[in-house]
Amino acid sequence: MAALPILFAFLIVLLDVLRLRGLAVRAVFLLGAVIPIPVVWLSNEGSEVVGGWARKAGIEVALTETNVPFLMGELVLFAFVAVYSLSYFDPRDKKTPKVLALLLLTHAGLLGAFIARDLFNFYVYMEIASVSAFALVAFSGDKGAKGAAFKYLILSLLASYLFVFSIGLVYMETGYLNADLVSETAAPSRELYAAIAIAAASLLLKAGIFPLHGWLPDAHSRAPTPVSALLSGAVVKAPAYGMLLLFSSLPVGLTLRTVLMGTAIVSIFFGIGRMLIANDAKRFLAYSTVSQMGYVLLGIASLNFVGAAYYAMAHSIFKGGLFLAVGSISTKSRKLGEFGYRNAPVIAVSILMLSLAIGGVSPFIGAYAKGLISSELGGWWKLAVYLSTIGTLTSFTKLNYHLMRRLSPSSKGAWKLSSFGLALAALLAGVLLGAGINPKDALGIAIALGLFAALKASGVLGRSHPAPSRDVGREVNLMAMTLVAAIVLLMLLGWFTPAGGR
Amino acid sequence: MKMSTVVRTTTKMVSPFLVTYAAYLMLYGHLSPGGGFQGGVILAVAVILLITSHGYAKVRRRFHFNWASLIESSAGALLVLLGLAGVAFGAFYANFLPTEGGIVLPFNVIVGLEVGAAFTFVFYILLRWVESD
Repeated sequence: MAALPILFAFLIVLLDVLRLRGLAVRAVFLLGAVIPIPVVWLSNEGSEVVGGWARKAGIEVALTETNVPFLMGELVLFAFVAVYSLSYFDPRDKKTPKVLALLLLTHAGLLGAFIARDLFNFYVYMEIASVSAFALVAFSGDKGAKGAAFKYLILSLLASYLFVFSIGLVYMETGYLNADLVSETAAPSRELYAAIAIAAASLLLKAGIFPLHGWLPDAHSRAPTPVSALLSGAVVKAPAYGMLLLFSSLPVGLTLRTVLMGTAIVSIFFGIGRMLIANDAKRFLAYSTVSQMGYVLLGIASLNFVGAAYYAMAHSIFKGGLFLAVGSISTKSRKLGEFGYRNAPVIAVSILMLSLAIGGVSPFIGAYAKGLISSELGGWWKLAVYLSTIGTLTSFTKLNYHLMRRLSPSSKGAWKLSSFGLALAALLAGVLLGAGINPKDALGIAIALGLFAALKASGVLGRSHPAPSRDVGREVNLMAMTLVAAIVLLMLLGWFTPAGGR
Repeated sequence: MKMSTVVRTTTKMVSPFLVTYAAYLMLYGHLSPGGGFQGGVILAVAVILLITSHGYAKVRRRFHFNWASLIESSAGALLVLLGLAGVAFGAFYANFLPTEGGIVLPFNVIVGLEVGAAFTFVFYILLRWVESD
């Protein structure tokens, strides 16, 4: 089980050696993408310490009920992304083997991060995933891709360094890095609060939650399509899992958790707002990620870890699918209203299914995950989740409205296959997990359609967002300042309030 | 870029000793100060010294770009295989060799090759931009 991610590293390296042969590279890439599925399948739940050392000395990895959903989402998504990217990247291009190797590295990093039960090990694997993600974003031929990758690189690395600093603080206070051992020895203290605040803020940045989301829309919308799917679907989940590890092992104050839940709600609605006015299809989906990560944070902050994990899995599947599907019909133009699925029935069906899934309509996986998230919440929070569901449905009505009326250039078979495969996965997973058909969802859809018609009539939707400023350095400064402000705020919250119940 | 005869002759003489020292650090890393990473860095320094004194173009003719890449990738593969071999003995990276230091010795050597090749590789790539002659 522990051998898993490193197995890929080996396969990637093999790719590099075999650089000359197109077919061999493709075969190895596919093998690397799918082999972990049977390995995870065969390894039973439980923990293992690498190298057979004592638990206090070694690095522990485990399959638990909270990280299996993360893993499943990643594995399913990556299998389809692999098929898609083999036909997306030109095999004759010299860069392609490098791109494929980087994709596998991201895959390895994510799997390693998701099975980690050790804070430092988690950090290392998360970095493997995000460093290869920077390079993958920069590989895109898109005009602003280099700038987007630069912004992503600087902010994400800044957050990583702060995170590793906070891990140091945790180690200093408790003497362990293993999440379970940390939770046994952690006693509330000021240093620990500071560590929690810094770690939480930096992971929020890496997960793209609202006030710290600045890098996300650019990086996710300008990357090549399969990479966008992987970034939005899986890479932002790694910090979410880190937050889960942190919150499950350290005493996090009630005030801090409430503030984070508030942030999550704000993030959800902010994302929806930006989706409603967005003009670019991939930017639309990127803002949808900001919105959807809010739900995951909501689950984690309300200490509903299983719910958050299932939501993360659901989001991996449907957001990855949406990126692949929308990406495969928007090869010419990405502006909404200039392309569509009118002549592509397979893509049309998959986008419709995925839109319903992301809106939390039963019997798709989204409904099950949303049910789990809201099951632990109190009255007002539940209402907010319901309202945001309607908001999400409204914004996806907008997407489908624009797509329905236009034609698109024909797309390749593999692209259709992977889009439709993920749509089917969203449906099957929902059915298998037992999300029954809920007639109340029809009401939600009706309200969303009505709301969309009203907004359309009022002319809010046509407003294009302001053109992004040219000055990347200034943007980076601004976002770094926001991060520092967030850290200071969270730290003050931790210091001025006593630790609440766990 | 070419430095004076004194510098070139000195670096030519120092480089083989650096390689020897790197090998010592890798092979005795489990008993004395040192280890794979340090050995690898010194290994890379041996090449980098030659590059700075003799110029990129000349060194590249002898020590090929692809060699660095090949050594780096195959060392990475070996590292994983070493870990996987441990699975047969109970755990990932289990210590299955009965010798002194166990698998630390092969591990250090492989890490040394990996690090040395990778540093040379990075230096080559950076120099491609700096020096175009």
